[in-house]
Amino acid sequence: MIPVCKEIRQDILRIAKDSGHGHIPTCFSVIEILYAVYDTIKHDPRNPSWEDRDIFVLSKGHAALGYYCVLARFGYFDIDKVYSFGAFMSDYGGHADRIKLPGVEVSAGSLGHGIGVSVGQALGLKINKSSRRVIALIGDGESNEGSVWEAVMVAVNLKLDNLTIIYDNNMSHTRGLQIYNPDERFRAFGGDVAVINGHDMDSLKKEINAKADNVRVIVANTKKGFGCRTLIDNQYEWHRKSPNDEEFKKLMAELDEETI
Amino acid sequence: MRRQFRDTIMDLAEQDDRIVMILGDVSVYLFNDFKEKYADRFYNMGICENTLISVTAGLSSQGFFPFVHSIAPFITERSFEQIKLDMCYNQFGGNIVSCGASFDYAWDGATHHCYTDLAILRTLPGMEVIQPGSRKEVDILIRSQYRNGKPTYFRLSDHPHDIDIPVEFGKGVLLKDSGSEVTVMTAGPLLGNVVEACRDLNVNLVYFNTIKPIDKEMIIRFRDTKILVVHDAFGLYEAVGEVPGLDASYHGLPDEFCSWYGTLNDIRKHIGLDAASIREVVQHAIVGPAK
Repeated sequence: MIPVCKEIRQDILRIAKDSGHGHIPTCFSVIEILYAVYDTIKHDPRNPSWEDRDIFVLSKGHAALGYYCVLARFGYFDIDKVYSFGAFMSDYGGHADRIKLPGVEVSAGSLGHGIGVSVGQALGLKINKSSRRVIALIGDGESNEGSVWEAVMVAVNLKLDNLTIIYDNNMSHTRGLQIYNPDERFRAFGGDVAVINGHDMDSLKKEINAKADNVRVIVANTKKGFGCRTLIDNQYEWHRKSPNDEEFKKLMAELDEETI
Repeated sequence: MRRQFRDTIMDLAEQDDRIVMILGDVSVYLFNDFKEKYADRFYNMGICENTLISVTAGLSSQGFFPFVHSIAPFITERSFEQIKLDMCYNQFGGNIVSCGASFDYAWDGATHHCYTDLAILRTLPGMEVIQPGSRKEVDILIRSQYRNGKPTYFRLSDHPHDIDIPVEFGKGVLLKDSGSEVTVMTAGPLLGNVVEACRDLNVNLVYFNTIKPIDKEMIIRFRDTKILVVHDAFGLYEAVGEVPGLDASYHGLPDEFCSWYGTLNDIRKHIGLDAASIREVVQHAIVGPAK
């Protein structure tokens, strides 16, 4: 784990403990992905509405705390503000609100929505003959929603080679409707598919930068709770949970040792 | 009204290169000229109404004025959450234009009927809900609203009324002020039947082309009369009811699926929305206990 991603995970644990709100495991699965995206795309934290920026959409909106911590790391706002996570009148809620926060392109939460909006954004950029691009991060659990596959079909049909879909394959899907071999499914839908280790920064950046003739799909194999053994062993219990003092110490120690 | 929609869009697109047409595999033949002339702004995207709305929101976020068009129940009831979140919550505007209305597809059965669209969409913050009744209303209301950045719903029907009245977004029209103790309020194409029903009756008659925002001032003018909302959908009665303290009642849809096939007029007659049936209901309101 690269040091900055460990520090971001530490931020998440501190804020989750202080705020009493969680979704820690899903945040831990996407930290390298989020960091790689913002380290790769064109964006300007000092001018979030810069007209030449690329667009990132967090379609799996419940990873908001991880998203905030990564945006703070890139300078969109101060990390201290994120400690109000989930509080009444906070700008930093359980799902990000684009009206409240600089850098958030789409307010997502209900699953299977952000990806459809990102298809419209990519189409708009195509009509404008713009070189800007759109990246949407979706979850494997989210992909139980039919609207995800509708959006993929439309995007492929429109040949949106300026759209990259990153599929966080953190095995949420195993709880219910199972989606094994997602790469084959996306390929069958016409996407240009790569399968990588979603915690490997070099692979992520390489694939995010790769060009394709049609919609690019990166199947990022990840682990829910990556870094902490406890989060992985007790996935159900920790889905929305916030750690108490004792649990916090244990999780920080596990993260420090990179127990997974 | 669909042809008027096409004509208006063709005219607007000539001056406005931010207009994009998205079809749900409906009315495709109507837009052949648009497709030929503006190929990069025409998309028959397929039968996927959820995504049609999400894409509309995404296009709007990039500065376009999209028009998404499909059959009323599919583009509104099926895609309600996309309209709620992707358009309204995100504050991405765009124009949803439906066809079919309540019973244009009478013989297709209840799967293709739509009478909740106006009612459910008016509950969404930031949404504009328009039910034009004539070609003139379609033309004027699209021109005045399409590029205001708000999510706007236009409910078209292939059975317009043929009454020429002044048209302004958000403004009710007083068609008859008889100083009566009874006021009939209606919206959309049903006006034709309502006017015929009330022609020689001693009632006031108010017409709306906009369900949200509703013209409260117009309603307040008649708050001391007995108000009868005659409408072939839900939504207008609920909108009128925003004004507190009214004595208002509703004559329209029954609490059952209208699964009798036939024609629009067959169904209207069956549920009491033909001119003769409306007349009976209005007459009953006139002779009933006055307020």
